[in-house]
Amino acid sequence: MGDRRLVVGVTVLAGLAAYAVLVPWVAGVDDRVTDFAAARQAPSWAHLFGTDSAGRDLFVRTAAGLRVSLLIAAVCAVLSTVIGALVGALSAVAGGWVDRLTMRVVDGVNAVPHLLLGIVLVALFRGSLVAIIASIALTHWTQVARIVRSEVLSLRDRPHVDAAVLGGATRWRVVHRHLLPAALPQALVAAVLLLPHAVWHESTLSFLGLGLPPHRASLGTLLEEARSSLLLGGWWTLVFPALGLVLATLAVAAVGSGLRDRVALPRRAEATL
Amino acid sequence: MTPALSVRDLTVRFPLAARRRAPRRVVHAATDVSFDLHAGRVLALVGESGCGKSVLASALLRLLPGNAVVTGSAVLAGSPPVDVLTADERVVGRQVRGRRLALVPQSAATSLTPVRTARSQLEEAVCELAPGTDPRARADELAERVGLAPRDLDLFPHELSGGMAQRVVVALALAGGPAVVLADEPTAGLDRPLANRTLQLLREVADAGCAVLLITHDLGGLLRAPEVADDLAVMYASRLMETGPAAAVLAAPAHDYTRDLLGALPAGGLVPIPGHPPELTDLPAGCAYHARRPDAGRCDGGALHTAALHTGGVRSARCRPLAVALC
Repeated sequence: MGDRRLVVGVTVLAGLAAYAVLVPWVAGVDDRVTDFAAARQAPSWAHLFGTDSAGRDLFVRTAAGLRVSLLIAAVCAVLSTVIGALVGALSAVAGGWVDRLTMRVVDGVNAVPHLLLGIVLVALFRGSLVAIIASIALTHWTQVARIVRSEVLSLRDRPHVDAAVLGGATRWRVVHRHLLPAALPQALVAAVLLLPHAVWHESTLSFLGLGLPPHRASLGTLLEEARSSLLLGGWWTLVFPALGLVLATLAVAAVGSGLRDRVALPRRAEATL
Repeated sequence: MTPALSVRDLTVRFPLAARRRAPRRVVHAATDVSFDLHAGRVLALVGESGCGKSVLASALLRLLPGNAVVTGSAVLAGSPPVDVLTADERVVGRQVRGRRLALVPQSAATSLTPVRTARSQLEEAVCELAPGTDPRARADELAERVGLAPRDLDLFPHELSGGMAQRVVVALALAGGPAVVLADEPTAGLDRPLANRTLQLLREVADAGCAVLLITHDLGGLLRAPEVADDLAVMYASRLMETGPAAAVLAAPAHDYTRDLLGALPAGGLVPIPGHPPELTDLPAGCAYHARRPDAGRCDGGALHTAALHTGGVRSARCRPLAVALC
C-alpha cells in the first residue's frame, strides 16, 4: 500500500514539476506581460487555462506560480530540517539545562500560531522572498527538532555509540557520524511531510497580500487575483491554480507517508495484526 | 615482569535513589577486586550472570553511568603509567581508550552503527587511533588479521553473520594497537563452532603480545579449549573468590564455588547449585557464597588466602587456607 502511494505520489509530482519547469520555458512568453485585449477569456485551444483579468495566459502563469511555490516550499523544508536536526541533536547530546531550555523554546514557538508569527515576519520585510522563506523556516523547524531529539535520545545509549567512543571518536564525531545518520531517515520523512504545509503557508501569505508582489506569480497570488474574477464568472482563474495547489499538496503528502512506511517497515508479527 | 594492567582493590558502588521511609540502598557491583594482566597472557574471568563481571570492564574504560562510585587503582604500564580510574577524562579519551586499552564488546552486531559499512567504521577508527597510516590499507590488514576477507568490510552490519560481526569488532579493538584488550562476553549468543573460533582469535591476539581479559560465563567453553586461558579468576557476588593458573584451578579448585560451578557443567555431572545468587544491594556479611550454601564446607568468613605455586605463579582463594597439595 505504502509503495503504491509512493509511486502515484512521485509520478504526479514529477508531472507537476515537468509542467512547472518546462511550460514557461517552452512557451517563450513572459507570464508578467499583460494584454488587456485578451482579458478574462475562458479556456480555449489558444489559452488552455484561459486568461486572467490582465489578459495573462493562465496555463503559463499557473506553471510559473507552481514553480515559485514549490521552490519556496522546498527551500523552507530543507532549511527547517537543517535547523531542526541541529537543534534536536545538540539538545539531546548536551542534555541538562541546555536540553531543558531548548525544549522550552520549542514549546514557546509552538505555542504561538505559526501563521501569526509568519505574518509578523513578512510584514516587517514586505514582498521579500527571503522574508517569506524565513517566516516559514523559522516557524516549522520545531517538529523536526523534536523528532531528531527523540531519535538521538533513543540511540545514544546503544552499544554502537559506546563502541564509537572506544574507537576514539569525539563527541562531535559521534553526533555527526553515528547518531545523525541513524536519525536522518526520520528527519527526511518529516521534511517531506513539511513540504505541503510550506506550500499552503506560502500561498496563504500571498493570498493575504503579504507574500510576493502581485505581478510575480505564485499559487497564492493567483488565488488572490481569482477572488475578484470569480464574481465576474471567471471560474477558470480559480480552478486551475487551486487544482495545482491541491494536486501538489496531495502528491507530496503521498510521497511523505509512503516514505514513512518504508522507513518504519512493520515487523512480521505486527504486520499480521 | 611488570603487568600490562595492574588492578588493585577495585570497588564499584551504585547508590540507588532514596525511597520514602526506606534506607538508601547501594548496589555492590564490585568489591576489592585485584588482578594483574600480563602481555601475551589471557586471564579468563568467570562467574554467573549478574556477579559484576561486565561492570569491571566498564569501570576500567570509564564508561560507567554518572552515579557510579569507583575506588581503587588500575595502572596501565607504559610511558607514562596511567591510573585509568583517576586520570583526567581527556587523558582517558585521547590517550587510553582504544589506544592502550580496548574493548571487544558483548554484542557485536549492535556495536556497529547500523547505517554505515564495517569498512567505514573501521577506517574511521584507524584515522582516529592511528593517524598517519593509510586507513584503507590498515583496515584490510586488520581484516586479514582477524580472518575476514577485505571485501567483507564493504557490508553493512545487518549483512554480516554473527561470526563476521564478531571479527569486525575484534578488528575495531585492534585498530589502535592496544597493549590490553578487554573482551566482555565475546562468545555470548554464538553457536559452539563460532564461539570456539572467537576464543581462538583472542588467543592469537594474546600471542601477538596483547594482555587479554576474557570475561565470560561460559566455563564449559574454557574447559573445551584449555589452551585459550592462561589464568583464571572466579567471581561471585561482586568479589573474586579464586584466582590462579587456569589449568591448576580447573584441575583442582580451591573454593567451593569453583567446584560447584564445574559440577554444574555437563562434564561435571550437571548438578545445579542450590539457591540463588544474592541481590547485590543486600549482600550478607562475610562470605556471600557460604551464606547461600552453609553446608558446602568450612568458611572463615571470606578472608583471602594466597600461596605461591612450586611450578611458578600464585594461587589465591577465599574462605580457607589453600591445601599444600594445591600448591
